Amino acid sequence: MTKATRDVTATQASAVLVSTIIGVGVLPLPLFAVRAADTGGPLVTLLGSVCALIGLLFVAALGMRFPDQSIIQYSERLIGKWPARAIGACLIVFFALLTSLTAREFGEVVVTSVLKQTPVEVTVIVMLMLAAISARNTMSTFAYIHFFYVPLLLVPVLLIVALSLKNAELLNLQPFWGNKPEGMLQGILTIAALFQGSFVMTIVIPAMRRPAKALSVSLYSILIAGGLYVVIVIAVVGVFGAQETRKLLWPTLELAKATSLPANVLERLDGAFLAVWVTAVFTTLLSSYYLTSQSLKQLLRLEEPRIFTFFLLPFVFVLAMVPANIVKMYEAVLNVGKVGLALTTVYPGLLLVIAWVRKKRGSAHER
Amino acid sequence: MPLFGNRTHLLSGKTRRGNRGQSESPSEPDSGRGDGSPVRKPLNGRLAELLADVTDVLGTDTTLSVRRFRIFGTFPAAMLFFPNMLDQAALNETILKPAMSAPPGSDLSDWTAQRLMDRLANEALWHTDCSETEDFDALIQGLLHGDTVLVADGSNAALVIGTRQIDKRGIDQPGTEQVIRGPREGFVEPIGPNLALIRYRLQAAELRMRQLTVGRKTRSKVVICYMDGLTDPALLAEVERRIGAIDIDAVLDSGYLEQYIEDNQWSPFPQVQYTERPDKVVANLLEGRVAILVDGSPLALIVPTVFNQFYQAVEDYTERFMQMSAIRMARLVALVFSLVFPSIYVSVISFNPELIPTEFAVAVAGGRAGVPWPAVVEVLIIEISMEVLREATIRLPQQVGGALSIVGVLVIGQAAVAAGFASPITVVIIALTTIGSFATPAYNAALALRLLRFPLIIIAGIFGLYGVMIGLILIANHLLSLKSFGVPYLSPLVPVNFEGMKDVLIRGPLWWMKRRPAFLKPGDRVRVGPEMTEPPETIGEEGGASPTSTAKE
Repeated sequence: MTKATRDVTATQASAVLVSTIIGVGVLPLPLFAVRAADTGGPLVTLLGSVCALIGLLFVAALGMRFPDQSIIQYSERLIGKWPARAIGACLIVFFALLTSLTAREFGEVVVTSVLKQTPVEVTVIVMLMLAAISARNTMSTFAYIHFFYVPLLLVPVLLIVALSLKNAELLNLQPFWGNKPEGMLQGILTIAALFQGSFVMTIVIPAMRRPAKALSVSLYSILIAGGLYVVIVIAVVGVFGAQETRKLLWPTLELAKATSLPANVLERLDGAFLAVWVTAVFTTLLSSYYLTSQSLKQLLRLEEPRIFTFFLLPFVFVLAMVPANIVKMYEAVLNVGKVGLALTTVYPGLLLVIAWVRKKRGSAHER
Repeated sequence: MPLFGNRTHLLSGKTRRGNRGQSESPSEPDSGRGDGSPVRKPLNGRLAELLADVTDVLGTDTTLSVRRFRIFGTFPAAMLFFPNMLDQAALNETILKPAMSAPPGSDLSDWTAQRLMDRLANEALWHTDCSETEDFDALIQGLLHGDTVLVADGSNAALVIGTRQIDKRGIDQPGTEQVIRGPREGFVEPIGPNLALIRYRLQAAELRMRQLTVGRKTRSKVVICYMDGLTDPALLAEVERRIGAIDIDAVLDSGYLEQYIEDNQWSPFPQVQYTERPDKVVANLLEGRVAILVDGSPLALIVPTVFNQFYQAVEDYTERFMQMSAIRMARLVALVFSLVFPSIYVSVISFNPELIPTEFAVAVAGGRAGVPWPAVVEVLIIEISMEVLREATIRLPQQVGGALSIVGVLVIGQAAVAAGFASPITVVIIALTTIGSFATPAYNAALALRLLRFPLIIIAGIFGLYGVMIGLILIANHLLSLKSFGVPYLSPLVPVNFEGMKDVLIRGPLWWMKRRPAFLKPGDRVRVGPEMTEPPETIGEEGGASPTSTAKE
């Protein structure tokens, strides 16, 4: 990002984070939470959000120290050229994987529930193309796109949660801390991994009008996204109960199926919900795709990022097609997510400590 | 009066051009003029040679009149003009008569042929618009413009006298932007009365009109109107740069200009607003926009344009706010309907019939029972025939149009359903869509949505609701990336501006909108005086002495 385009406001940056975090991960989220801790699902989700917040705060603090650079750039100053480049390359591969798995996951959702005769390759490539086309925009347009879609993400989920509450049972949620606390740590990490798209903050900060607001932006966006996650888990567990939720592949989608609008305007909501959810998945995909191509551009020190957007497409598509089926895919999602936590939380944490010890700061000539 | 103001402006431009030609000529004789531009040379005072040159340039144009006479009976002179472009009676009275008879009490002995033109313009002629030139090119331009050229033997200068008078149609109600409540005047083709209509509504010293000439052959006058100190200077510079870069041979309408100055030529969405209403132009000037008028076009261009202008109408502001807010929302619904209704119908029928209530789904299926095609083909057929009908209705003479719409819509629609060609629900959907697209005040924006409907229907036929969503995301992303003269197209919605939001979905009360839209970066943001912060009724109690109310008197 050039210095000329410093026009992303704090509200827009929060919107970027919120709409990036809320994505296809919302569909299996209650399943992950319930697997870890039964009725303690909401608590696990809450703790997972806190865990994700810590990682994001590392990134934000680093961004405030180096307000003109992204992680690819300032890491070179902190730990040396080649180690930084190696880890930078890992980050890029990780985000390419994250992009492909997101596309694959949603592709599977679509072919399973609506377009039953369409091959999954088609739905995946359509989503990836959509992201690739939109990733050619500038940073300010990128922020506009996210900002525009945020209401479309929040309203349907909150609507479905509100409508389903009449079927909810408080007893289903008790005990709040769950029945087997030993699985909790795993669950917390799994759920924290769903927030990893928020790493896009590292390229948003250099375009922010006031990078000093990065901390509060992170805080508010995790509050909104994490709050939404908790509310969804509460609603699903409250309606279905922990045992029933374990048997559902995408419990949030089932929740949409189980609710209907008053006055029977739409008889079933899952189709409409899924259609609206395309936007949520799109924004997540766009962020990770944009992050991948921008980071690659910065790593290779190229001026023109646009060529990368289509150059990346075949690679991401092949990666998306590697898992043989839904089961393998979810294994991959969980494993990649855990490896990713090391890259998106531990690595920035280390960098922050190093920056603090070596007293390195971003160049002050800009602000 | 405004017309006159413009004339003098025009005139100063002309003399400036003449002077430049004069100063250039001694230093570089003829070298720089081999680039295809017409002959430009100083006048040398030989009348016969000059007339020969004029015939040379204009050919044997039989509509050109050359009237030879003697100024004050002494100096041989000629008057050149195109009689069809001016009022000959006025010519006789204000130019020929004073030029022939010497001013009373003056001594002809100190009049010389050299300084004849200067003295003639200052002492003898009874005409407001006279300019002296020594440039042959300017003389020809004036002649072609409809002015009268006065030349005399022995004088190096010629007088170009603004006598142009072209017949125009009367100022009429705007055909495409009619209102129930609001001014009834619309622009006409000649630019003079149009500028007068603007200045008549906006008698502010800050109103500036800057004239350019575009078009190698048509040499059309283009006037850029803006408010000094209010319009963002960067915007103005950008407008001038874009218009200045245009090098085409004809500008027959402002639409030609629009296509050269818009930001993204490949976008289906218009990025320049046009209007034939002077009041609309004035309102936009006062928000800090720039208006561009072209001689010969009754449509003014307004830049920069944002999307919400396309569903705003003049009446939104002249009628009371609550009613118009509701109507504006209805218009917005119509706009969205005209884009997505058919594609949603196709995807619900073909992919997600479980979404609609069972009774209705059964009724729809019953209606579609005899139709041989899938829903997408059926909708496309009806949609295309509707487009054909609509186009036919527009092109036909008005007397036949009514008959056509009855035959087309009522008879064909009814018969198509009876013949099992289309289901009744499809006809209803398409009819609603078409009516929805008529409710959009801006024709060019309605055209964009009309065009985008077709890809959406096709993608709905392939991917259902998922496809519709993909299409809508593509459209929305395109809108979000679009800019009109540097202003994001969806402002003030994105990037958000709460002051501007008062005029997006609803039309807030006038006293709410105290500031001009921030996205236009106006030099002076305050639009409503500080005393108007309270609702108007409390003002009345204080005596109504607010600065704006007095200014309006």
